[in-house]
Amino acid sequence: MSRIIEAYVGEYASGKSENAVNRALELAKQGRKVVLVDLDLVEPFYTLRPLKNKLENMGIEVIAWETKDTFGLGEAGYVIKPEMRWALRRKGEIIFDVGYGVQGFKIFNLVEGALEEENLKIYAVVNISRPMTASVEDIIAYLNLFGRVDGIINNSHLGELTDIEIIEEGVQVIKEVSKITGIPVIAISVEKNLEFLAGKTSFEGFPVRFLERYMPQSLW
Amino acid sequence: MERAIKEEKRVFMTGNEVVAWGALAAEADIMYGYPITPQNEIMHYWTRLAPKHGKKFLQTEDELSAGFTTIGGVLAGRRAFTATAGPGNVLLQEPVTMAEMMRLPMVVCIQQRGGPSTATVIYSQQEVNLTTYGGNGESLRIVYSTANHQELYDYTIKSFNVAWRYRFPTFILGDGYQAKMREPLVMYNPREKGVEMVPPESFVGNKGSFGIDREPVHLRNAFSMEEELYEVVMEHIDDYNRITPQIVEYVSLGCEDADLVIVSHGIVSRAAVAAQEMLRREGYRIGYFRPITLRPFPVKALRKVCKSTPRFLVVESAYGQLARLVKDALFGLEAKMDEIFMPGLGITSEKIVGHVKKKSELKV
Amino acid sequence: MSVSGTSMPKSWNLKTKPHKFCPGCGHGLVLKVLGQAIDELEIQEKTVFGCDIGCSLLAWDFFNVDSVQTHHGRTTPVITGIVRANPSLIGIAYMGDGGGYAIGSQHLVNAANRNDKIFVLLVNNTNYGMTGGQMAPTTLPGQVTETSPYGRDIEETGAPTLGPEMVAAITSETAYVARGTVSNMRQMKSFIKKALKNVVNGSGFSFVEVLATCPTNWRTNARDTWKFLEKDMAKYFKVGELKTLPTKRED
Repeated sequence: MSRIIEAYVGEYASGKSENAVNRALELAKQGRKVVLVDLDLVEPFYTLRPLKNKLENMGIEVIAWETKDTFGLGEAGYVIKPEMRWALRRKGEIIFDVGYGVQGFKIFNLVEGALEEENLKIYAVVNISRPMTASVEDIIAYLNLFGRVDGIINNSHLGELTDIEIIEEGVQVIKEVSKITGIPVIAISVEKNLEFLAGKTSFEGFPVRFLERYMPQSLW
Repeated sequence: MERAIKEEKRVFMTGNEVVAWGALAAEADIMYGYPITPQNEIMHYWTRLAPKHGKKFLQTEDELSAGFTTIGGVLAGRRAFTATAGPGNVLLQEPVTMAEMMRLPMVVCIQQRGGPSTATVIYSQQEVNLTTYGGNGESLRIVYSTANHQELYDYTIKSFNVAWRYRFPTFILGDGYQAKMREPLVMYNPREKGVEMVPPESFVGNKGSFGIDREPVHLRNAFSMEEELYEVVMEHIDDYNRITPQIVEYVSLGCEDADLVIVSHGIVSRAAVAAQEMLRREGYRIGYFRPITLRPFPVKALRKVCKSTPRFLVVESAYGQLARLVKDALFGLEAKMDEIFMPGLGITSEKIVGHVKKKSELKV
Repeated sequence: MSVSGTSMPKSWNLKTKPHKFCPGCGHGLVLKVLGQAIDELEIQEKTVFGCDIGCSLLAWDFFNVDSVQTHHGRTTPVITGIVRANPSLIGIAYMGDGGGYAIGSQHLVNAANRNDKIFVLLVNNTNYGMTGGQMAPTTLPGQVTETSPYGRDIEETGAPTLGPEMVAAITSETAYVARGTVSNMRQMKSFIKKALKNVVNGSGFSFVEVLATCPTNWRTNARDTWKFLEKDMAKYFKVGELKTLPTKRED
């Protein structure tokens, strides 16, 4: 039985969590059962923890610590919950929000059955405004660190200063990366309040995902 | 070797990364550091960037060592820096006093966390006392309190230049929110912007031969007699006082006709400016004053503002640490002080607006 | 006792001689040997000498080499920082037993473990001399000091720190570790020279502890001073090399 299992990986502050949350909610709106797993053990700051209740009220199951259950955060390190380790045993579609970089990615060594799971897709979220992933060469070098990436999501933006140029520049860069590496472009992510721009460009024909912003509500 | 920052570029970053890139743009040579949240990504990004640009990093055994090895780097004539927070800032005070006494231009970034003790790794403005006056002695140092990522970048670069020009330990004072927040900024190469990059000089190990073109140096921070110490310290104090007018920086908005001036620093300024604008729109005559340098403090500028303003409101995520600096600056004036002190908590513009409307009995 | 020459080393700062250490103090002997080693290795102009607080402080202007006096216990990180930033310099961190084994022990342990290319030269005279003769980590069992007025009780305060043994246990194969004594100047000189060479070659961390006399705080006359050094201290602190470079057997 084929089901959707997606892991969102990538550079620090590339927009992994935002893309994972939006994807989970999109699937839930289609009437699917969705489990969103917070596997960010690298950075206890911008994680799903503060959003858990809100997202569950919106119809998805969230496996994440709640703030009241954590102690010490960055002092004590971030602790894996047993439910995270066994997340793949759950029914439904599964979206993993993974910690940044290769160290973040290696958490899959702890998730039971993850690397043997044939439906697992690992999607790298890329923002070309992030200095370490600003050019075609940098991005390819970065993706190579992971060993395996099944798709790229262009999430190029500049926060509140985002304009059509930065998104289109990102699309061109990602297209080139895709051409060289053979890794397909899964989607172009665009913040929802910029939806009006969509008529002005075709985004090279790639699928577009409009993102609602949830993460600014998740400060620590 | 790759050139660190080429052309001007708009980027999207977290504050800790900004400090690492700012240090790179400032042509820093070496970072010494010890892990402590919330400053870790300064080290994470410096260690990723440094080898590509011929720069170095040493992970030390604690912040005492981070501070003293930074001093070593400075003595060797390198732009050296460290970064820490909270209890690490406490340990760092010892090496900073050595830098103060010996006029060594060490650069330190502090990302304030909750205190006292271990407290939280998250946020506060509770390291103002420590960062401005934490040492034994007179705490002659320069402290820039930043409010956004562009400033973190600009003042990281500036800190190296100011430190090496005036030879006082120099701090960039951020906080956990700034460290972790994401926002856009413009990165640039300061040389291409016409910023004068003050060259570092070696204190020890210079080229040359003794008796021919140089003599050995004997550097010390210990003195035998009170009079000897007094002379040295007064010389430093005179230097510090003399450069103060060139160093102090502040922002002053709409203070001329104000019935009340909101005083804040660092990230709280974002809420304070927004509050001032909201209240102005509603007809309240509100001014806003923000010291960028907490040490030296913009005493003259603030006194001028408060001479014509009957009241001021100090807003900070600490219990009166900024207020202490403000009261000290305003000693003798008749302006009355009101306060929003929220140690370790973020402060919103709504909170400030509500407070002003409810408590200050101001008329529109 | 062997005598290694009567002339003053070239690297000494003659303007500060006679030095200010007490009569009979071991520091002068250690610094004489260090000066000779610096001369013989011809490293005077690229050496940075760091001294600690305590009696080692008095060495701040002892040599005609670039010198920096630091804080108590912090000479190791200052010299580490200098050499990390400019590896062409020869860094010497000079300290007493309190600076190295108590307040600065974490720096000693970690610099040793990182194999920092510096030479730590530690003078062990079993007490804090500069502050008035308090108990040190190296104070002998039963030894009377200002803070062990009834004699050091090792049940309560621990046994004398075995510094070189500890450093030897945590350093890499390229480190040099030895314990010398001011009662054998020729041997001490060979240790200090090898330690310096190991740093000059850039091969590794070098550590020499020297057993030294402190008649002022021991309150001993010349004969008892020598007895304390050669009999009492020797019981706990074994003189010799603990780690040498396997490939270089020269002296």
